[in-house]
Amino acid sequence: MTRLADARVLVVGVGGLGCPAALALALAGVGTLGLVDDDRVDASNLHRQILFGEADVGEPKVSVAAKALVARAPSLRVEPHDARLTPRNARELVRGYDLAIDGSDNFATKFLLADACALERRPVVHGAAIRWHGTALAVSAEGAPCYRCLFEDLPEGEAATCDSAGVVGPVVGVVAAAQADLAISLLTDLVVAGELVTFDGLAMTARRRTVRPRRGCALCSEDRSIASLTTSRYVAQAACEA
Amino acid sequence: MDTLVRIPAALRSLTGGADEVSAEGGTVGAVIEDLERRHPGLRDRLLDEKGVRRFVNIYVGEEDVRFTGGLATELKSGDQISIVPAIAGG
Repeated sequence: MTRLADARVLVVGVGGLGCPAALALALAGVGTLGLVDDDRVDASNLHRQILFGEADVGEPKVSVAAKALVARAPSLRVEPHDARLTPRNARELVRGYDLAIDGSDNFATKFLLADACALERRPVVHGAAIRWHGTALAVSAEGAPCYRCLFEDLPEGEAATCDSAGVVGPVVGVVAAAQADLAISLLTDLVVAGELVTFDGLAMTARRRTVRPRRGCALCSEDRSIASLTTSRYVAQAACEA
Repeated sequence: MDTLVRIPAALRSLTGGADEVSAEGGTVGAVIEDLERRHPGLRDRLLDEKGVRRFVNIYVGEEDVRFTGGLATELKSGDQISIVPAIAGG
């Protein structure tokens, strides 16, 4: 618990994943949470973004979430960043924390956060959910295997998002809980890096697989080519998620 | 030889909603070709001209086929194939 009390965790995206993950980490005793999101609470968020209520619609997510978290965990320190993660600010934000939680809802931010964490040698726990399906992946500070070992680059085409395709509220809760679990494990030096958790809320099954470093990975192999955050790398190229 | 293939939620519109289907073939590539015959449109969601799409992972058991021979990965009785696509959203 002492180690968690000293820990600083950055939650990128305070939505369906970020809200429950942040709450779980706060109640677990993590000392400081940084929250990154430039969005405002929308009525369509409320079924899955559990830190918000109807009275919060229109308010900045990071401000509302900060109050809700401190109300539940009074010793928690919250650092709200009312901003979007960009190639310009990503490395500095990541550098200020011990670990990052990927609660983002788009591929560009997921790859940007993966790259920023690898360059700053920070562990990151990725998460994603759409409809009835979700995944979580833990990546160590050493960086291999990484998100780009699993998925090389941004999908081509317009990927479905929770806004366009929908997501079942409890599914993001399960994935966020897995992310918080993996984060606590990483912060307490348990070996979970490279573990990919997949959850199917329709079949009600969860599976765990070990991801291997991809030969020639652009981010974490000896032949890596990503040494900086170039804006053009995070422009979605175009086809729906598979 | 029939192989069980687990279909992720995002692709079940192509399998009539089934989360598991069977397909015949001695290799991963052959199974995908049989899947395409039974569920048209599935192959293009998994493969491009270079092989397995870069934002899709195909596992035989717990092994990513990229490390076991790709589409030429041979299957044995009882093997199960899982498909893990990249997803965003949260």
